Amino acid sequence: MSARRIPWAEKYRPKRVEDVVGNPDAKRKFIAWLNSWVRGKQTKKAALLYGPPGTGKTSLVHAAAHEYGLELVEANASDVRTSEALRARVFRAATEQALFSERGRIILLDEIDGISPREDRGGLQTVLELINVSKHPVVLTANNPWDPRLRNLRDLCVMIEFRKLGKRDIVKALAEICRREGIECGREVLSAIADRSKGDLRAAINDLQSIAEGRKRITLKDLEILGYRAEQADMFTIVRRILAARNPLQARLVLSYPSLDYEMLMQWLNENIPYQYSPSLVAVADAYDALSKADMFRGRAKRRQKWALLSYALELMTVGVASARERPPFRFVKYSFPKKIKLLSATKRTREARNRVASLVGRTVHVSRRTALLEVLPYIRFIYSVNPQLGARILRSVGVSESLFKEAFPELRKASRRA
Amino acid sequence: MPEIELWVEKYRPRTLEDMVDQEEIVRRLKEFVRDKNVPHLLFVGPPGTGKTTAALCLAYELYGERWRDNTLELNASDERGIDVIRSRIKEYARTVPLGEVPFKLIILDEADNMTSDAQQALRRTMELFSRTARFILIANYASKIIEPIQSRCAIFRFQPLPRGAAIERLRFIAKSEGVEVDDDALEAIWEESEGDLRKAINILQAAAALDTRVTEETVYEVLGKVSPVEVRELLRLALSGDFLKAREKLREFMLSYGLSGVDVLKLMHREILSPKAGLDLDEWTKAEIIDLMGEINFRLVEGADDEIQLNALLARLALIGSRKKAA
Repeated sequence: MSARRIPWAEKYRPKRVEDVVGNPDAKRKFIAWLNSWVRGKQTKKAALLYGPPGTGKTSLVHAAAHEYGLELVEANASDVRTSEALRARVFRAATEQALFSERGRIILLDEIDGISPREDRGGLQTVLELINVSKHPVVLTANNPWDPRLRNLRDLCVMIEFRKLGKRDIVKALAEICRREGIECGREVLSAIADRSKGDLRAAINDLQSIAEGRKRITLKDLEILGYRAEQADMFTIVRRILAARNPLQARLVLSYPSLDYEMLMQWLNENIPYQYSPSLVAVADAYDALSKADMFRGRAKRRQKWALLSYALELMTVGVASARERPPFRFVKYSFPKKIKLLSATKRTREARNRVASLVGRTVHVSRRTALLEVLPYIRFIYSVNPQLGARILRSVGVSESLFKEAFPELRKASRRA
Repeated sequence: MPEIELWVEKYRPRTLEDMVDQEEIVRRLKEFVRDKNVPHLLFVGPPGTGKTTAALCLAYELYGERWRDNTLELNASDERGIDVIRSRIKEYARTVPLGEVPFKLIILDEADNMTSDAQQALRRTMELFSRTARFILIANYASKIIEPIQSRCAIFRFQPLPRGAAIERLRFIAKSEGVEVDDDALEAIWEESEGDLRKAINILQAAAALDTRVTEETVYEVLGKVSPVEVRELLRLALSGDFLKAREKLREFMLSYGLSGVDVLKLMHREILSPKAGLDLDEWTKAEIIDLMGEINFRLVEGADDEIQLNALLARLALIGSRKKAA
């Protein structure tokens, strides 16, 4: 009897990487990263596998550990914080050499986005610390990695995206399980289960198990006992629901999604409005106007701690945006991740360097950092670009090293080489 | 430390006597030095007219070589909030001044960037330490300084420098540096800087980095690289109806100069009204755009996101531009 209690999703977890269903790109990227550890040349110490539930994130880690003979130390991220003992175990595992295998180990922290910001203050800090001290590859998983609280963590990780699985892949995986369990089951039944799972293989396997376990044969009728699963939408879907809403009020429905990250949503809309509403300049301008007002209410709510104002912001960014006049007929466009966020993290070093230069220059010429940035640095930059020797002399005299200056203005690296 | 090679600093007057123009102000400040008594001061005026220089000269003349020990320089824009400013003042004003002047100087630059609440707190601090310290507040606009502070200060209004004095100073600097400057070049610098001597000197130094002879052309070459040619391009793209390209340009621009939304808006505002921009807009449209910019500026001040707000502006400009094309 006890054997029947094992969830099939566990029982049939793949043992080899090639058996992990779907997401070939993610698999390739993950294995390449893992190899970079073995060679000792990793660019990032941690990998963040993210995507909807049941798309193979944890399975891939298990399969890789099994196939490469790595010891897998596994913990749920939020437990690491709350239980001192667990924390100690994970930290010890991360900093010591592996005991049982030559090739080392993988530290897996599941559900990193499950750390609650309020009760688990410092929880994310613990994870950041762990990554910093770890001598072994650290793998994190998350459903929604775009939570603003995870920003620092994202910078430390190789980001590997998992997408919902295709129906064909799910049907194939279910058929294999039926074969091994000795269950007779028509394609149409598996196809219906796959449809209902919405790309979540774990859900599909659970459904299959709950109707098929202990039976020899299942039919479509057996499916009726299964209810519908609540859907957690990803940003692409949410943005599409707003921009392509048939009527504006429909756009409001996205507000009912649990834990909607509205700040991130605004960035996504900011990026994607023109892709969906071009070539209608009226629609683009109207949608941006609504977004801009939403942003203003968000700012007020935050600054004055008047959270009641947030409801206006939420409605403006959904109904308001979707109420744009002269919206072009719907066509399928590919949405993009907000470029601003990418640029911000890509230019972080540059911006920090520039602020430091501005502080130093501001202090010597008795102006604020901002004034230095706007009214003095452009001239020094110009001088350096046309006359690097003179530029270097000026920089020395105000206590700014040339290397810091070039970090602040990366385009100058070329200028000095030319000279 | 080597001598500062930035001309704005290298040629900053060290004594009141050397100050460019502002004669009336200089005369009264000299009296303060003679009496070794200084009231709280409020220096008001546009950028580059000598406010900070006057404060530093005053400090130098009061304390001589020990001026640094007796002067605290703060910049309201750089300090994090009034609490930090207050605690730094407290820390500093607690000890007795060195030398024969019975008080220390506290120079608070860009004081008009403080909120009125912060200024109220500052006013109490001023009262608390007025026996051991005198304040020099520096601001662009007197109207942004609360009345109770104004009434406690002797107010000095700095005027934009007259053409003659500014050009004379530029000539003096050029001569000291062994640089030859054409009259046309001086004229161009003067026109661009509009009485802001800091800006004028920066332009001169940048142009002199190109060649030991500064001509009108070299001045324009500098201006093309450091001033808002790119803002012009940004406006042109938006008004041509190409929103996506304009948005791309905006990102590039904000990033490469490290500008805030309000900074960009200010530059755009100036361009819309500038006859040099060549934007071919009728007066009514200009008024419409300025109305729009005011609204966006308000939203930015309310704490909104730079990029979303400026994108909203660009999208509206694209619409206005296409409407004009259709007409």
